[in-house]
Amino acid sequence: MKTHNYITIALLLFSCISIASYAQDAKNDLLLSLSYFNNNNQTQYLTAHTKTKIDGKFQLVAGIPLSFYIGSESPANLLGKAVSNDKGEATILIPAAAKEEWNKTSKPSFIVVSAASKLYDGTKANTDIVKAKIKIDTAADKKIVATLMELKDTVWAPVKGVDVKIAVERFDGDLNVSETQTYTTDSTGMASADFKRDTLAGDSKGNLILVAKVEDNDIYGNLSSEKTVPWGVATNFISQYDRRTLFARRGHSPIWLEMLAYSIIVGVWGVLIYLILQIKKLKSLGV
Amino acid sequence: MENITKHKIIEDLLPQKFGKKGKIWVGILLAFCTLGFIAYCRQLSKGLVVTSMRDYASWGIYISNFVFFVAISLVGSLITAVLRLTNVHWSTPLTRIAEIIAVAAITCASIIIIVDMGRPDRFYNLFIHGRLQSPIIWDVIVITTYFFISLLLLYFPLLPDFKIMLQFKEKTGKRLYKLYHFLGSFWKNSTEQIKISEKAINILSITIIPVAFAIHTVTSWLFATTYRPGWDSTNFGAYFISGAFLVGAGGVLVAMYIFRKSYKLEEYITESHFDRMGKIVVMLALLYLYFNVNEFLVPAFKMKKNEEEHLRGLFTGEFAPVFWFAITTAMFLPILILIFKRGRKPLPAFIAGSLVVIGSWFKRYLIVTPTLLHPFLPMQDVPDAYRHYFPSWEEWAIAMGSLAGALLIITLFARIFPIIPIQETITEIEEHENA
Repeated sequence: MKTHNYITIALLLFSCISIASYAQDAKNDLLLSLSYFNNNNQTQYLTAHTKTKIDGKFQLVAGIPLSFYIGSESPANLLGKAVSNDKGEATILIPAAAKEEWNKTSKPSFIVVSAASKLYDGTKANTDIVKAKIKIDTAADKKIVATLMELKDTVWAPVKGVDVKIAVERFDGDLNVSETQTYTTDSTGMASADFKRDTLAGDSKGNLILVAKVEDNDIYGNLSSEKTVPWGVATNFISQYDRRTLFARRGHSPIWLEMLAYSIIVGVWGVLIYLILQIKKLKSLGV
Repeated sequence: MENITKHKIIEDLLPQKFGKKGKIWVGILLAFCTLGFIAYCRQLSKGLVVTSMRDYASWGIYISNFVFFVAISLVGSLITAVLRLTNVHWSTPLTRIAEIIAVAAITCASIIIIVDMGRPDRFYNLFIHGRLQSPIIWDVIVITTYFFISLLLLYFPLLPDFKIMLQFKEKTGKRLYKLYHFLGSFWKNSTEQIKISEKAINILSITIIPVAFAIHTVTSWLFATTYRPGWDSTNFGAYFISGAFLVGAGGVLVAMYIFRKSYKLEEYITESHFDRMGKIVVMLALLYLYFNVNEFLVPAFKMKKNEEEHLRGLFTGEFAPVFWFAITTAMFLPILILIFKRGRKPLPAFIAGSLVVIGSWFKRYLIVTPTLLHPFLPMQDVPDAYRHYFPSWEEWAIAMGSLAGALLIITLFARIFPIIPIQETITEIEEHENA
């Protein structure tokens, strides 16, 4: 074989190996985002979302190990580590150990970092928030007042012009207390709503849980506060377990069905027994 | 038939020993039963996994066979009760054939349902844990009741024949003589006995009709009370009953021809009987066709998504060959054959009856299985075998064994008892002569 043939084969092999290694190295971009939550001014936590785009569609990515930091990406500022679940979410509570770093500023920033893996390059995301709290209260005539305050240096100040959702907690989500979707806070940081859901079912005592929320706010993140009020209709759960129904267990069939079934059975089998007795009679006549 | 003497009638209708053909026939049936029993033993030792039934097609040919048996058993009520109560006398030679078909079919229906349960002890659980609200319990109750009524309806008309058979000890043999003696030696043909017997038969004829309707309506409710494409129908009871009468009448046509040929009963099961039964089969086939149109046209007109998949599967999809075969053989061809007078001659009528029976068996399969393979939720992450159903050899062997079992019961009955009522035939001829 001539020398140039060897060179051609070598080049082809090299290009194949290059394509193969390129194919192996091709990684999808991991899209990372971070959200801050403050529930009832007591629990602060961070949730990171991991997703990627495959064939033009966003898909949630599970199993990504993530590290959460406050202030800067240094081991001393590590808040915790978590792995994204099937919903592409990873959550950590801000631990008490981070109190010192938390108290340093009223505008903390948080960072989430994903390490490089076979499928994805390492990436990071951050969120900067202003510390804030929301309070929910009630007044006469079933009026609900939500108050939003932010921390300015060391003082809590009312926040104006923020959309607040005032709702009732239900099994599948939140139900607005009236037709209005959101209420905007005034200069005193307050937003008022009238409760219009008079016939809403509550628990056995008629209790409902009111909730005021600031959702996905660029400055304050996600804030929420709850209050229990006796404004619902008291509902008592009546167990169907012992009721006589068509779907009940053995021995609990409806009376009408039992009457019907047993009377038919007794009627027909009564006839059959009568006929068997007739055979006996025939026998006695033949003796 | 008017010129036949009493002696000849008895001579012709007394049970006859099996000839060579009869013995081969019984041997074949026993072979099928044995094969079925071996397959059942395998199923007992290895479990229902030897069948092709899986998560989706959890009802296969066992249940199809069960529905088929229940259906064919209805003929007892049609021939014996409906025709008797309407004073149709030409059906007298056919009543016992119809009744023994009913008893054999209902016996095998009970057996096959236990086979379908897997472990036979589960049948006991049905009684100790059964719910009165469940159509399965209703089915157990009506099947048991129907079985006893059919048995009594078979027994009462046999009583006068026992008296005759007891007079022919040398012909019937010692063992059968003992059996006849045990079953009917008390029958003296006295006026009072005849009166009681006739009254009992009338009561049974009246009772069996609602019970027969109940048995097949309840069987249809096993399906119709379940919300599934193909089963979710308010018409199912009537649809099942019309189909049951058709297959039963078809079965009688077949049995008439075979008994007529085998026992040389041309003078008793005449061409006129084939002609009349043929007309009944045409009427029933048209009725069943009407219900089929109802069952398929209405959902096909609406074409709801899930119904569409089921219907397309039947009309043009996986089940289309079986579907069109069943429709053609169970309805179209028998109508085409029997609608003409020449088609109601014994041989063509026998062919038409056979087509009805074969087509009806496949029709039951189409009622049961395709629906199970079209659930509302998509079949995901399941092995490919779960998406289709084709019976395993064990299922075929057991199903065929049960069919052979039913035929064996009929065959042995015909060997032991007169397949055409002797006394009734004599009485009818005497009444005809006196008239």
